[in-house]
Amino acid sequence: MNTFEHVTVTDGNEAVKLLSERGGAAGETKIIAGGTDLLTLMNASLIAPQRLVNLKAARALRYLRFAEDGALHIGALATLADLERDAGVARRLPILVESVRDAATPQLRAMATVAGNLLQRPRCWYFRGAPHCWLKGGAECFARDGENKYHAIFGASSCVAVHPSDLAPALLALDAELLINGPSGVRTLPLAAFFHEPTNDARIEHTLAPDEVITEIRVPGQPEGANGAYLKMMDRQAWAFALASAAAQLSVEDGVIQQARIVLGGVATVPWRATQAEDALTGQQLTPELARTAAEAALAGAAPLAHNGYKVPLARELVRRAILRAGSVPHP
Amino acid sequence: MADTSETAAAPRTHVSLQVNGTTREVDIEPRRTLLSVLRDDLSLTGAKPGCEMGNCGACTVLLDGEAVYSCLTLAVECTGREITTIEGLSASGELDPVQQAFIAHDALQCGFCTPGQILAMKALFATNPHPDDETIERAMSGNICRCGAYPKILAAARALAGTQAAQQ
Amino acid sequence: MPIRIITTHLEFEGQISEQRVVMEGEEPAVWGPEAELAVVGKVTPRVDGRERVTGSAQYAYDVQLPGMLVAAGLRSPHPHARIVRIDASRAETAPGVRAVYHHFNTGDLNNPSNDRPVFGDELLYQGDLVAVAIAETKEQAQDALALIAVEYEPLPFVVDQRAALAADAPKVSTTYEHNTIPEGFPQTYERGDLDAGFVQADVTVEAQLSTPTALHNSMETHGGVAQWDGRTLTIWSSTQDVYGVRRGVASALGLQQNQVRAIKQYMGGGFGNKFGAHHSGLVAAYAAYTLGRPVKYMLSREEENLAAGNRPETIQTYRIGAKKDGTLTAIEQHTIGNVGAIGSWFSPVAMATKELYQCANIRTVDEAARTNLGTQASFRAPGVVEGTAGLEVALDQLAAALGMDPLELRRKNYAERHQALDRPYSRKLLLEAYRLGAERIGWAERDHEERRYPQGRDGYLRRGIGMASQLWGGDGGPPAQAIAKLLPDGTAVILTGTQDIGTGTRTVLAQIAAEELGLPLEQVRVELGDTEFGVFSPPSGGSMTLASVGPAVRMAAAEARKELVEVVAQLSEAPTDALDVRDGHIFSRETGKEMGAIGSFLELLDGHEITAKGMRGPNAENMSVRTFGAQFAEVEVDIGTGRVRVLRIVAVHDCGRIVNPLTFSSQIEGGIIQGLGFALMEQRIVDQRLGAVLNANLENYKVPTIRDIPQIDIILLDQPNVHANTIGALGAGEPPIIPTPGAIANAVAHALGRPVKALPLTPDRVLDLLNS
Repeated sequence: MNTFEHVTVTDGNEAVKLLSERGGAAGETKIIAGGTDLLTLMNASLIAPQRLVNLKAARALRYLRFAEDGALHIGALATLADLERDAGVARRLPILVESVRDAATPQLRAMATVAGNLLQRPRCWYFRGAPHCWLKGGAECFARDGENKYHAIFGASSCVAVHPSDLAPALLALDAELLINGPSGVRTLPLAAFFHEPTNDARIEHTLAPDEVITEIRVPGQPEGANGAYLKMMDRQAWAFALASAAAQLSVEDGVIQQARIVLGGVATVPWRATQAEDALTGQQLTPELARTAAEAALAGAAPLAHNGYKVPLARELVRRAILRAGSVPHP
Repeated sequence: MADTSETAAAPRTHVSLQVNGTTREVDIEPRRTLLSVLRDDLSLTGAKPGCEMGNCGACTVLLDGEAVYSCLTLAVECTGREITTIEGLSASGELDPVQQAFIAHDALQCGFCTPGQILAMKALFATNPHPDDETIERAMSGNICRCGAYPKILAAARALAGTQAAQQ
Repeated sequence: MPIRIITTHLEFEGQISEQRVVMEGEEPAVWGPEAELAVVGKVTPRVDGRERVTGSAQYAYDVQLPGMLVAAGLRSPHPHARIVRIDASRAETAPGVRAVYHHFNTGDLNNPSNDRPVFGDELLYQGDLVAVAIAETKEQAQDALALIAVEYEPLPFVVDQRAALAADAPKVSTTYEHNTIPEGFPQTYERGDLDAGFVQADVTVEAQLSTPTALHNSMETHGGVAQWDGRTLTIWSSTQDVYGVRRGVASALGLQQNQVRAIKQYMGGGFGNKFGAHHSGLVAAYAAYTLGRPVKYMLSREEENLAAGNRPETIQTYRIGAKKDGTLTAIEQHTIGNVGAIGSWFSPVAMATKELYQCANIRTVDEAARTNLGTQASFRAPGVVEGTAGLEVALDQLAAALGMDPLELRRKNYAERHQALDRPYSRKLLLEAYRLGAERIGWAERDHEERRYPQGRDGYLRRGIGMASQLWGGDGGPPAQAIAKLLPDGTAVILTGTQDIGTGTRTVLAQIAAEELGLPLEQVRVELGDTEFGVFSPPSGGSMTLASVGPAVRMAAAEARKELVEVVAQLSEAPTDALDVRDGHIFSRETGKEMGAIGSFLELLDGHEITAKGMRGPNAENMSVRTFGAQFAEVEVDIGTGRVRVLRIVAVHDCGRIVNPLTFSSQIEGGIIQGLGFALMEQRIVDQRLGAVLNANLENYKVPTIRDIPQIDIILLDQPNVHANTIGALGAGEPPIIPTPGAIANAVAHALGRPVKALPLTPDRVLDLLNS
């Protein structure tokens, strides 16, 4: 790991000031909170910030509270373990608990913050290893024609790494938005607009500016009868990133689906919203057949690589089960 | 490209750490992990380096009672927090009930991952004295044991679950 | 006491070799089934449990010495390259750096275990050693690596084993004529008449199994700390073989063996790749010797996974012929193994085919391909894990073709004798293992509808049951020595030179000594893992420690007890045969009366210590002493997601007498869990175009977690093998890993009704299998 200057701040504004004062664009200054991703990037010499701004001391940013309108406000420094343990979240937004409880390990969940979870970089073994891949500024994505069993089946990016977060698909299915603190004040950004498929000009999976800090994640209140589920498949029973995952959030009234959100994890450079599946569900009576049809729709257009064809039937099955689980339909 | 690694001595910070109930003062570079400071500066070698990337759990310590990976924790960020290492569990000379259960059930083989396993189990019982099997397995899923002592780690935890000793 | 030199025979991987044993005195009579033992055979928590749970156990990684320097290694980014030049001047002058070693300044440091330079100028794999920086702190050593300028000339490379064997393949090394082990390969074994065997067959099946490259991933990496005090070089090493470390370091540095001391008190896992001094130990020793300061070099996890050995991948193909009634008439096995850059031997993948089942006509061919990847090393039952999986998978396919119960097929072809050597086994309880295991798993109900389809036929879950047999040595042999000392207070110290690599060796040796000496366990201390104070013991590998060192300890204790009785007899003017020693006290045999504690007699001798030697005697002649066993696995496959869960493993292994049921069951469980990892998730991934290992870490090289573990039922046979040695015990380290992958693969095949052709059975592979 490189040497760096370490500064502790006690609120988001201070952090923004430090980020902007020396031109955060060069990656010169980085925020550290949970540190579980940042330090591994530094250990592998993928980044070498000259200054770390420790946000952990900004205790006011660690909270979970339900507002009067039913929205859940998640402070940026709330940990995954905080979410996992919160009785209110478990009761009102079970999809969030399901999404975090199989993420990483108890230790990492105790360390990792919700905001950091959304900002984590891909686990692609070329990106994390020595090859100077496209995402790191190189010319070629080595995974595209290489060892790609963990890689993307959707997306238009030159990069085929997948977004590693378990929480992100669930938050996206809940139409979450972010409160972002920047040099010109606070802005609100739908999570859907936060994620960004890496492009030539911006080889990064999100749109947060280098001098901005996420301060809150806000989950709107869900209608009566809303329920969600998150299902994840790993290649061992714990401590693995998703081979594929599916988040389904449904609001059902009199047996008819009023609104559906279906988001896939582990299939693209960003959490992948399956709008065709949502369309197939909306306004319909939830039945096992409908779930199957929607799952088919969710995977329409998937373009697997040489070694990840299995992700298509896998993700399809996870979507089908997640829909049925969210709709509390017994199913095999 | 600017080469910073040749600059003479890297800047150090004075840090005061609460380790096993004692205040320990160190002058360290900010990049030092809690794991390396515990081992190299404080000679507390119970926490083990297995991967130094948060993939094995051998470096598990308690931070304010919660199990964390000390290899992914900067020591400078631990000021004001209560750090417990395996050495702190039996400071009085008497073994902690979890330690005793590990011996009685042979919940270890080579022993390298054992301090981390014990502390992970300590953290479990601190919040849940009556865990069922699934809760135990989830709580212990962040600690790899390559020798495969898992069935006996589970047995040790089952034996402790619900006992008075577990809550100490 | 006069010494005798006895010629005995050792059997290793089907080869018999002669061995001279120096015997001084007689071994005690074997503890047979009738022996009444008070300490041996009892559940005994580890005698060093306290050290292991308090963090006070000192591993090589934990050794810290005043003035100690720390090393960090620079590794080749290329699969094959020549080093054109190295400029280390900036690194050498960086803060805290005391030395930078590389080919151009340390090219003559030789690694005696492979007779190659530690710092060569031709790099043969990604991760091959380029340079080592030695500095005051680990951070400074690591910082220095970035300042070493290396000019590489990349050379053509090959990493695929089949491609490597092609005539026009790039040469793995410019010094190689071809990419195979130069002598003896391809290696062929034949008996009977294979063609005639296939002519006799009513049914012939062809089967294939590919097995992955597995990485040991001991939790403690390779390495050590070395210190030179001007007279002695001491090295604390994470090793399974302190004598091998002593030999290697002495040879590499040109020191006498009495100038080198190797110590291993605790180590974080071995599993077969920690035998020699390893280049990490050699570099630490060289640096300490040269710089006059203690030096630590522990590999990083990535270095470990690139450069510390592996279980080589295999591609196995089988052709098996049988009569309608299941009688095997011919087995042909062809294996290609990937032994890495400088592999010089290939593990015995054909052992099971040659020996496990009765068959007159056999041919096995092993091809060993060298590739530009890290070199293989032994890994817990090397070759036999892979080969048993292959054979057992093939046999299940034969059973299906015959319409025969797989277990019945195995019973039908039960081998009573060692066919390759044409001699009897000392004993074989495999039929008993089949019976007990089948009963426990419910083999008879394996095809019941409700068992196979727990959610009904429309559901997504399929269950299956499979089994596999196990055959391995584990009989150990000479030389192994021990010394027993009875101290004036009646306590004992046992000196050996063996290692406890986590198996519980220290505890079982203490039990054996306590039993023989008539002492409570707490009054016996066992010292091991130190060449300076120990006496010679073999490497801790091959499941041979207990069966080699245990009898030596027993004999030493027996000799000490004899002298004790002699002493007490003279002091108390009683005949020796009137005395008994039990529980730390002397008793009169006649009256049963206690005559006093042992110490009360020894204290009369003005500090005299009873010191006695013991040694492992010769092996039984003209028979094969083997461990046998069987495992039965029940699995559940989710055909929607490809998830395989092992629900249960039933394990029945004959390892002779069980000295400590507690640590024995730990060995069995540990072996099964590593076997489960091999069957379901472990595999090194290599990019063929880059020649790069992509998962030299514990993130993507997946080993089992506690959540992956099935219920494990161990059925104890616990019958002393009176031909094995004087304690009747055999090793249990390797037997349990051998049948697990085959049993799991067969259970998955049973669940899915499709043959398994490759391990590990990861979800992607299972889904591909289902959709094929």
